[in-house]
Amino acid sequence: MYTDRLLIIFILGTYLLSPSLIDWWSEGGRAWYRPYLVWLGLIALSYWIARSRDVDGL
Amino acid sequence: MSMAYSVSDLILIAGAYLLFLFLVAWITEKGWIPARLVRHPAVYVFSLGVYASAWAIYGSVGYAHAYGYNFLAYFLGISGVFLLAPILLAPILRLTTTYQLSSLADLFAFRYRSRLAGALTTVMMVVGMLPLLSMQIKAVAESIQILTGEPDPAWVAFWFCLLITLFAILFGARHATARERHEGLVVAIATESLIKVAAFAAVALIGLFGVFDGPSGLGLWLDQHPEMLSRLYAPLQDNTWHSLIMAFFVSAVVMPHMFHMAFTENLNPRALVSASWGLPLLFLVMALCVPIILWAALASNATTSPDYFTLGVGLANGGGGAVLGYLAGLAGASGMLIVAILSLSGMCLNHLILPASPLNSAQDLYRNLLWTRRVLIAAILALAYVFYRLAGPNHSAVELGVLSFVAALQFVPGLIGTLFWPSGNRNGLFAGLCAGFAVWLAALLLPMIYPEWHAQHLVEMFGLRRAEGMDHWNQVAIVSMVLNGVVYAIVSIVTPMSRAERTAAEACAVDSLRRPYRWDLSAQTVDEFVTALSGPLGPGTAAREVDMALGDLQFHANETRPYALRRLRDQLETNLSGLLGPSVAHQLMDDNLPYKPQDGESSEDIQFIESRLEQYRDRLSGLAAELDSLRRFHRQTLLELPMGVISLGGDGEIIGWNRAVEHLTGIDAEHTIGSRLAHLPAPWGDLLSEFGRGEAMHEPQRHLEVDGQSRWLSLHKSLIQSPGPSEQAGGLVLVLEDITELRQMESHLAHNERLASIGRLAAGVAHEIGNPVTAIACLAQNLDGECDREEQNLSASQIMEQTRRITRIVESLVTFSHSGGVRDTVQGPVNVAAAAAEAIALLLLDPDHRTQRFENHCAPDLEVVGDPQRLLQVFVNLLGNAADASDPDEAIRVASEDHGDKVRIQVEDHGHGVPEELRAALFEPFVTSKPPGRGTGLGLALVYSIIEDHQGTVWVESPIDGDRGTRFIIELPRFTAGALSTY
Repeated sequence: MYTDRLLIIFILGTYLLSPSLIDWWSEGGRAWYRPYLVWLGLIALSYWIARSRDVDGL
Repeated sequence: MSMAYSVSDLILIAGAYLLFLFLVAWITEKGWIPARLVRHPAVYVFSLGVYASAWAIYGSVGYAHAYGYNFLAYFLGISGVFLLAPILLAPILRLTTTYQLSSLADLFAFRYRSRLAGALTTVMMVVGMLPLLSMQIKAVAESIQILTGEPDPAWVAFWFCLLITLFAILFGARHATARERHEGLVVAIATESLIKVAAFAAVALIGLFGVFDGPSGLGLWLDQHPEMLSRLYAPLQDNTWHSLIMAFFVSAVVMPHMFHMAFTENLNPRALVSASWGLPLLFLVMALCVPIILWAALASNATTSPDYFTLGVGLANGGGGAVLGYLAGLAGASGMLIVAILSLSGMCLNHLILPASPLNSAQDLYRNLLWTRRVLIAAILALAYVFYRLAGPNHSAVELGVLSFVAALQFVPGLIGTLFWPSGNRNGLFAGLCAGFAVWLAALLLPMIYPEWHAQHLVEMFGLRRAEGMDHWNQVAIVSMVLNGVVYAIVSIVTPMSRAERTAAEACAVDSLRRPYRWDLSAQTVDEFVTALSGPLGPGTAAREVDMALGDLQFHANETRPYALRRLRDQLETNLSGLLGPSVAHQLMDDNLPYKPQDGESSEDIQFIESRLEQYRDRLSGLAAELDSLRRFHRQTLLELPMGVISLGGDGEIIGWNRAVEHLTGIDAEHTIGSRLAHLPAPWGDLLSEFGRGEAMHEPQRHLEVDGQSRWLSLHKSLIQSPGPSEQAGGLVLVLEDITELRQMESHLAHNERLASIGRLAAGVAHEIGNPVTAIACLAQNLDGECDREEQNLSASQIMEQTRRITRIVESLVTFSHSGGVRDTVQGPVNVAAAAAEAIALLLLDPDHRTQRFENHCAPDLEVVGDPQRLLQVFVNLLGNAADASDPDEAIRVASEDHGDKVRIQVEDHGHGVPEELRAALFEPFVTSKPPGRGTGLGLALVYSIIEDHQGTVWVESPIDGDRGTRFIIELPRFTAGALSTY
């Protein structure tokens, strides 16, 4: 049961990374679809986790 | 801009669209759509698309125009929530399904064990949601206004509200409670989302290909208008981004329509896993459409306000684009309105109406609930309409929506407390909610309704500068939420918490197991439950609810186990919670089915904790999983222990009943756990409860008659120390051992030992007596014939006769003494029929038996393993005894039977039988039924001894024929080719 720790790491990580992420995003110029790519990457990761997860816990 | 549409057309489209949705719901509930499809995760994912209200369709384009990329926060917020679904949402789903909680107010009322928490949450939720609800009404009314040029949207809004009221009642308020899940509603809302996304994407495609000639054209246009991109990026550097994301993140969980679709209407818990990637994907598609629609509208010089660019693109490009935009907006608005109002009406019913009005058993409960719910639906929509009339005309859709999203933030501290902080209490919740909500009310809501109201002083009080627009709401969002959280934490820490609240808090907290206590109920039977609940619910409803709870638990109606009754009470509270809300249900149970007053501490309900642990198994990892494996190992050890183990709680309830006890008593653990020893069936109830109460810690040999059979038990008990430091009574462990077989073996051994010692004695006696008797016989022989007197000769010959008799006795003693012990015996096949025939021939030589009728029915080919001479002895002894007991004309029968690897031989007569007092000791030495002088009592002891040596058994049945007859039965190993090697 390490979900709490995982959650804290995730939120902290997102918070720490967000300025540089937003900077990178802002410098996109014509590549306005950059955030969507990151988003798509997260969805793919989530899909992969959902596939490999033992869903009995839910 | 051509006004090609009339108001009636558009209202008709709305009516037809809603009717179509209703038909979808109706055929689903009729069961015409396969259950596999209805429960498919995709249906759940699309039904969660209800989040995309008119804000997503209209507002987000306007927002993107005004605040650039910040519009993404709306879509990223909900995506974030669902990406974290297994961590964030799964625990809430588990709570809502376990305790039948259908709204956030239910959850808070359950967690904080307070009616007030539920009522406060409901009121704040209704007030907080009014702006978002009125925004939907405004969006639909204004979209019709834009498409038709109708000058007064208020009456259109009125008709739209009426239509929604009607359909909300049709969709969700046909059943009394939120307890039944509405499959129809779920499928209808999923269809609604599908239509919404398709129409929205179609508008974007019209923009992309109609205005820009495809992606390359869009790229070219962006090159020519670089200010479009810089306007998109610029607001990212604002500080509003974080609080925006936060607000949308939270609202995706706490807003009533989301809570309702995600948790209350969840038909398949595993679908949450699919939603963790499916829903973000759905919103990615929608978010991708937003900038394209914005640029297409700007490029085609759309004349609408930016909030309605989705319509503007269609209007500027002709065709059906505008209708598609309208349909998308209508779908978003109506779906959100219907679900939110259904959920809010349920909350009001459970937390405002029912607690205030006592239940009246004379009326039909279910019908009353249904009508109250319908009235509430109409009332809430009326409130939303009034709010729209008050604030709608002067404020944009975005402003209205943001108001509700900031209000949703006020529930964050309470929710975090529910999931992660069991020490947060109701006082903290009240104080925090009131503080946060007051700030929201004073700084955001009131200025919107009364423009002359200024929150200047309030804002300055917190040392903030006066700000406008987004900066202002950002300030209010941060201030109100921080204030709310700090007050919640401080008040929770300094004020005490009731035990009931602590129990509920532990039940809710992630990673914690509820540790319930065993309290005795005043009601002792299921019937008493029904009687107790008949007061408030009416007899019919009470019986139905109790039956349903029994069915849920799969218990019988004759259940009296304290454990089962406690579970029944919990289940009833859970079910009634779905019907009446948790606070009313809790109060109802406390009033009508109270626990008995406790003296001192109660024991923990270990059985319940264990069953919960079993359910949680898959969620354990790391140290917890290791500990669980260890627990399982110990538990399994106890369970499989070849000795009966019964463990009792401090209050005498049975909490452990292992397999050996099940086997020994023939009573299943399932029917025993949770009851008391005295309630066990006879003879176990009396035996065990008496031993449990008694002083003695051991009872090594306890005799018991079970089903007419004699059983011997060895009983032990030991006190279990209470695991905590408290003085509370620990439990008791009883250990039962079945020693019946041991007792039998002991008596068998004792018998053999007795035979052996008599054998040794006999050998000594024979030796000591033999010599003098021989001398006497010799002397008597000398005397015989030497005396002159006839009398002396007669005496001498009588002495010789008597010495011969002594010699016979001595010989039989010697034979007996030689029968025990190890010696070289000839082992080989012995034909049973031949041995019996030989014995019969020998007996017929005896003048006493010459006329006896012997019948040899032995099968001629049956052979046993053994020593022929000794087996002959067995036959001679048995047949001789039979002849002694029978009249000369009575037949004596010897027969053999094939019993697989054994041969059974029966010797039976129809003589006087064995007296009852001798039967038990018949094979003991010196036991005989013959008159004195006729038998030594060693014959049958010898038979027993010989048969034992041959690995066989012998027993007697008498009488066999009325009150006469005796049958000796011998079982000996059958001779086979390999049989000898085992000797």
